[in-house]
Amino acid sequence: MTHRLALATLLLFVTTGTAGAQSQPEPAPLAAPTGNAQRGKVLYETTLRCYACHGFDGQTGSPRLVPMARAEDIFLAYVRKPATPGMPTFAATPEAELRDVYAYIRSIPQAAPPAENLPLLKGILDRRTKAN
Amino acid sequence: MADSHDSSGNGSVDRRDFFKGAALGAAGLVVGGQRATAETPVLQPSVELPVASHDLSYAMPAQASSPAPARAAGQGRPASDFMVDVLKKIGFEYAAINPGSTFQGLHESFVNYGKNTAPELLTCLHEEAAVAMAHGYAKAAGKPMLVVVHGTVGLLHSSMALFQAWADRVPVVVIVGHHRNPSGVINRPHSAQDMGLLVRSFVKYDDEATTLERFAESAMRAYRIAMTPPMGPVVLTVAAELQESIVTTEPRIPELIMPAIPQGDAAAVREAARMLVAAQSPLIQIAKMGRTPKAWDLLIELSEALQAPVDVMGYSSWQKFPSWHPMYGNGGRGYTPDVTLGLEVTDMSAPARTARANGRKTISITSEYLFQGSNIHDFGRYSEVDLAIAADAEATLPALIEEIRKQTTPERKSAIAARGAKVAAAHKEVQLNAIRDARYGWDASPVSVPRIIAELGDQIAGDDWAIVSGHQFTGDWQRRLLNHDKPYRYNGDCGGFGIGYDTPASVGGALAHRKAGRLPVAIVGDGDLNFSPGVIWTAAHHKIPLLFVVHNNRAYHAEVMIIQRMAGVRGRGNENAHVGNVITDPNINYAQMAKAYGMYSEGPIENPKELAGAYQRALAKVRAGEPALIDVISQPR
Repeated sequence: MTHRLALATLLLFVTTGTAGAQSQPEPAPLAAPTGNAQRGKVLYETTLRCYACHGFDGQTGSPRLVPMARAEDIFLAYVRKPATPGMPTFAATPEAELRDVYAYIRSIPQAAPPAENLPLLKGILDRRTKAN
Repeated sequence: MADSHDSSGNGSVDRRDFFKGAALGAAGLVVGGQRATAETPVLQPSVELPVASHDLSYAMPAQASSPAPARAAGQGRPASDFMVDVLKKIGFEYAAINPGSTFQGLHESFVNYGKNTAPELLTCLHEEAAVAMAHGYAKAAGKPMLVVVHGTVGLLHSSMALFQAWADRVPVVVIVGHHRNPSGVINRPHSAQDMGLLVRSFVKYDDEATTLERFAESAMRAYRIAMTPPMGPVVLTVAAELQESIVTTEPRIPELIMPAIPQGDAAAVREAARMLVAAQSPLIQIAKMGRTPKAWDLLIELSEALQAPVDVMGYSSWQKFPSWHPMYGNGGRGYTPDVTLGLEVTDMSAPARTARANGRKTISITSEYLFQGSNIHDFGRYSEVDLAIAADAEATLPALIEEIRKQTTPERKSAIAARGAKVAAAHKEVQLNAIRDARYGWDASPVSVPRIIAELGDQIAGDDWAIVSGHQFTGDWQRRLLNHDKPYRYNGDCGGFGIGYDTPASVGGALAHRKAGRLPVAIVGDGDLNFSPGVIWTAAHHKIPLLFVVHNNRAYHAEVMIIQRMAGVRGRGNENAHVGNVITDPNINYAQMAKAYGMYSEGPIENPKELAGAYQRALAKVRAGEPALIDVISQPR
């Protein structure tokens, strides 16, 4: 993968991870993961405990892991040597396990329903909008 | 063994004299199944006390060789009755206690002479819970609760919560008993040469009252110091011997005179106003604001006069600003403050450093300049601000607002209004997006924190609710999803970042709201709850209406992440990061725990669809005047 594509993918990940807006762009189409999502779930929840920061489903916690915008190799490179302070490094974790975790994250529903479609949240949005 | 009376004259204590006529109130002490006799002596639990007048700066009481003569009816009264009169005059409504023999005199006076009213005793199962309750109560009620604890052991138990109250600048008044002349294997460890030393690093004032007159004055002084900004906890040591002595004449109880709160120097306030009015992008940061509900109105006035964003800062802040107000926030993306005003911000070193490096300015108005401890480093780093005003921020705001209005010309007014419109629009977008973010993991199991709070908010929308727990581990979802439009909607955090504050402090906060008929709710972590679980019995026993929602993520999750990071830094795997950090295997059932303590409860709930029904049933109990608990298995954050 070229550096330019990697950078674009990384920027896209950062953008989608932090915007939180309804109008976030669709992630670029990614190649199918090579790992095993079932094994990855066990690793995610039990061995590597990614859920501690990212939630059991990758949707809660900080930061969210979905929608996953990084390609598999970018993801591996990142978790081995993360640029983000606070993110632990998984340099010692076997490559196959990291690919399984990636496959699991990709298998999680990548989008959440619009807040306006959830009556409770719609009510809160309406009240906040009217407040001032 | 006490040996001050050597009747044998040969340098050793005569055993027969030593034990003869010992006043064993329990009809003799039994040791190893045998009652004490001259041949099988046992250690005396206490010495008989002399009859004393109030002005006795009493010497070491003599070892009694015979029981004290019976007191004639009407001859004097227990000194601790006088002490209760002093405490009633100060106006304590409640006294949280875990009982101990070093204050048996005071305790008996509270319940009999004082009729257990003003103060009413609150039975606590741990002294840390007692002080934390007082901490939460003080912030919600605007006045301190009394706490009475046993010598050494009780004070040591309470020390964590005293430290938190200290760090949070909250008034708590503690009385600790001890024996001036302890005898016996039990009493000696409960006494100390310098009781206050145990906690001196994190209380504003401590004293030992050696006479009744000094007790009266010291109690008044302690209250005054606790309540004068910067506020904080205080400790008064009172010997059992003084409590239990008999008063034949009594000292006068002085009036409680509170000082006028220091306001900022007039010239400095004028200069602050000048800087803020001239600023293109001012920012107001608030921390330990405000002492009274008036501060809420003043902050709104200030922010609206300047059209300046109000950053309520993080966990150490009291965050007394409406969360859906147009000025609530940090100005939005790209807003770079050219003048930052800190109000009761202990450590402004970081904004001051950044400002200096970029030609910007900082102003600090805080009572921290008037008094600071030195051992505990909660004072932070040295703040190199441009204008430092040593004063209580709340007391200074009226003068500051008036100066701002005086100095705002019509031209500045329209520029300020234009800025305000931009800031309000930016804040609204941020706040709406933050609410939308709650949709992620909406139907997840374990339940997401925003789902827990959104469902709760829906059920209490028609109530005069108050959240009495902190938000350290709930990601501020309370302030995003619920409109904090009154000063009592939120009661701040722990102060010292120590776990174990939320659960007991919530009970104290709820008690403060009981009179006003408000609906208190607390979202507490499972880790927090386990530090003082007995306090939920206190809530049940004293019928303090409060809904506990247990944010049960079955771990100390911050620490899981910390160890993961450490393992990564050291190039080791993460497989063991959970060891010592998780609360599983077995899983604790908090609903059953609550039931064991006599409280209505439901759970554990793992399906978010079950929340609404559980909340409805539990809230029905709370509205009827009882506490209730719901255990929710939650996402980690």
